[in-house]
Amino acid sequence: MGKLEIDLAAPLLDGPRESDFLRLQPGKITELVGETGAGLTRIGLSLLAEPSRSGPVVVVDTRGWISPEAAWETGVEAESLVIVRCHERPLWSRVTAALIEGVPAVFAEVPVGMKDQDLRRLGALARARKTLVAFRPMGPRLPAGVSHLRLRSLGITWEGADRGHGKLKGRRILLEASGKGAGGITRRFEVEDGGRKIEQVEDESKNPLRLVSDVVADQARRAAG
Amino acid sequence: MWSLTRPDAPQDKPLLVVDDRVTAATPEVLEAGVTLGMPRREAEALAPFATVLTRDVGEEARRFEAVIEVIEALIPRVEVVEPGLLFVPVGGAVRFYGGEDIIAMKVAEGIAGYGEALVGIADGPFAARWAAARSAVGDPVIVEDTLRFLRSLDLETLREGVASDSLIATFRWLGISTLGDLAGFPRDALATRFGHEGVLAHKLASGEDRNALPREIADELSVEMEFEDPLEHVDAVAFAARNISERMLQRLRSNGVAPHQVSILAQPALGEARERIWRSADPFTERALTDRVWWQLRAWVEAGGVPGGITRIRIAPFDLSGDGRQLGIFGDEAARIEAERALARAQSLLGPDGVLEGRPQGGRMPAERVAWSRWNESAAEIERDPGAPWPGSTPKPSPALVPPRLRPLEVEWDDGMPSRVRLGTRWEPVLTWSGPWRLSGRWWAGERDADRYQIVTSAGALLCVVANGKSYLAGVYD
Repeated sequence: MGKLEIDLAAPLLDGPRESDFLRLQPGKITELVGETGAGLTRIGLSLLAEPSRSGPVVVVDTRGWISPEAAWETGVEAESLVIVRCHERPLWSRVTAALIEGVPAVFAEVPVGMKDQDLRRLGALARARKTLVAFRPMGPRLPAGVSHLRLRSLGITWEGADRGHGKLKGRRILLEASGKGAGGITRRFEVEDGGRKIEQVEDESKNPLRLVSDVVADQARRAAG
Repeated sequence: MWSLTRPDAPQDKPLLVVDDRVTAATPEVLEAGVTLGMPRREAEALAPFATVLTRDVGEEARRFEAVIEVIEALIPRVEVVEPGLLFVPVGGAVRFYGGEDIIAMKVAEGIAGYGEALVGIADGPFAARWAAARSAVGDPVIVEDTLRFLRSLDLETLREGVASDSLIATFRWLGISTLGDLAGFPRDALATRFGHEGVLAHKLASGEDRNALPREIADELSVEMEFEDPLEHVDAVAFAARNISERMLQRLRSNGVAPHQVSILAQPALGEARERIWRSADPFTERALTDRVWWQLRAWVEAGGVPGGITRIRIAPFDLSGDGRQLGIFGDEAARIEAERALARAQSLLGPDGVLEGRPQGGRMPAERVAWSRWNESAAEIERDPGAPWPGSTPKPSPALVPPRLRPLEVEWDDGMPSRVRLGTRWEPVLTWSGPWRLSGRWWAGERDADRYQIVTSAGALLCVVANGKSYLAGVYD
């Protein structure tokens, strides 16, 4: 539950696999780009699921809105998750630096108006400490050279609700991966947040992958216990 | 029962020796229902007639040293568990002496002058310990079929191996009275219900005693202290014991391991070095290790075993079995400390409410289903059972963004159906929606009923609450 799987239907071409895009790499920052509602908070939380099984993970919440319940549903261990609420922009870089220095995995919202210099320092710190880091800028993208992989949400489609009937069940998020982490080329793939297999809808690299996702679990692991 | 041999114990009186739990008792006290390992208060209630003595382990260790030396002269590699209880691997000795019965008799005869010696031989320390308990003075018990022997043991014997009263009580409640009953249960089921303790209990009941897997211990894990002025006084020895124990465990923690056995070596100013192995069923904690080192050094100093004082102490861990690995929730201990330091730093910058932990709890709205607490403080009390059904709760998936309080939301309605939502400065058309789901308020608390909708727009999906004709934002499915 809560993990992403890749089912390989055919041999891969050279370059990173889509499954690697949804897994944090030590010392390499993953940037999640998209507006609120584009589905990226849950994607960011799901990136912490794997590291939460072996150590503490931290979410830096600049608005005070991030719900741990969504994190638990994506497989993050409740006992490993710490939420740091940082509303003050002047403190954000210091707090985030302290966390990157000591905590194995960090998912941080980046407030609007952060200095490029501060963000670059954080990038260097993450590299030095080999910390798993995902940044979600609330404003413009991170300056060049900070992120290793950029995942941009191109659109989200919800399933289950039908003009008063049903309920939200699953969603499909079309993501665009770019940067060094994507092998220097722009690649698009779709993540289904509901546990069913789907065909990759667009494949610029002709890479015939089928993505299997169960980012949204039926029930929180910890809550069930 | 080594505690009962203390010189200050009154003769011919029922005795109860305790620390937090019963460590020894005379037969009259045991007949009253007291068992070893029983909590002190319970034992005192069952045997109010007994004279209660507080255990002095250091003194017991000193007196026990003579017994160890006798056994060590017969069989090497003695493992001391506590004063009064030791294990000896007899595989090699059987070949040397020609039989288990001969060894048992030699041991019993050798230590007969120091008190009532009980000797048992079986496969594994747990079974051997209970074989000894079933023996009589001068009549050792040699178990041929260890599995069968274990299955006949009462569940109470697990108290020493598992040390969980609640686990034993639960087993009894389930109708399990012997280790044989317990061994009949599937291990998977016990693991699911009772976790590591359940598995450990099942292993012991099934004859799979702690499997010591000696590993190559890097030299740097051993700790050594040298003293220019030999230590001759117990105060100085106590200080050294604490110091060296802390140093060794710090090194082990950074490797994520903890020892089941330690070798304590003391080099006297005159004569040959003394070495002793101490063992524990559970991995040594700092307190436990400090105690053992202190008891051992004190015993040597007070018994004159280190002539001229101690000039060098060396502690080496040499059994870091898999069970000894203390990988807690944060896995590696050094990483945990580092993470705690980072979180404490963040908390010092943001204040105590800036660093939070959440625990799942029951509730019908997303904001209700998280019990928040400050990091590094006691966990929040769960007010509502998360395992309860909670009819009417908002379905999963849960919104990833939940405002601390409901926020006003402008929704345009068309014949009772949402048609547009104002997000910031723009109006977004509603693509589809689900609901309404009725949320019945607690009328006695002045709450009114409300309706909930999941509204999908091209900018994302929202959880909306409509109450008193007004719309509120309760979550964003981001």
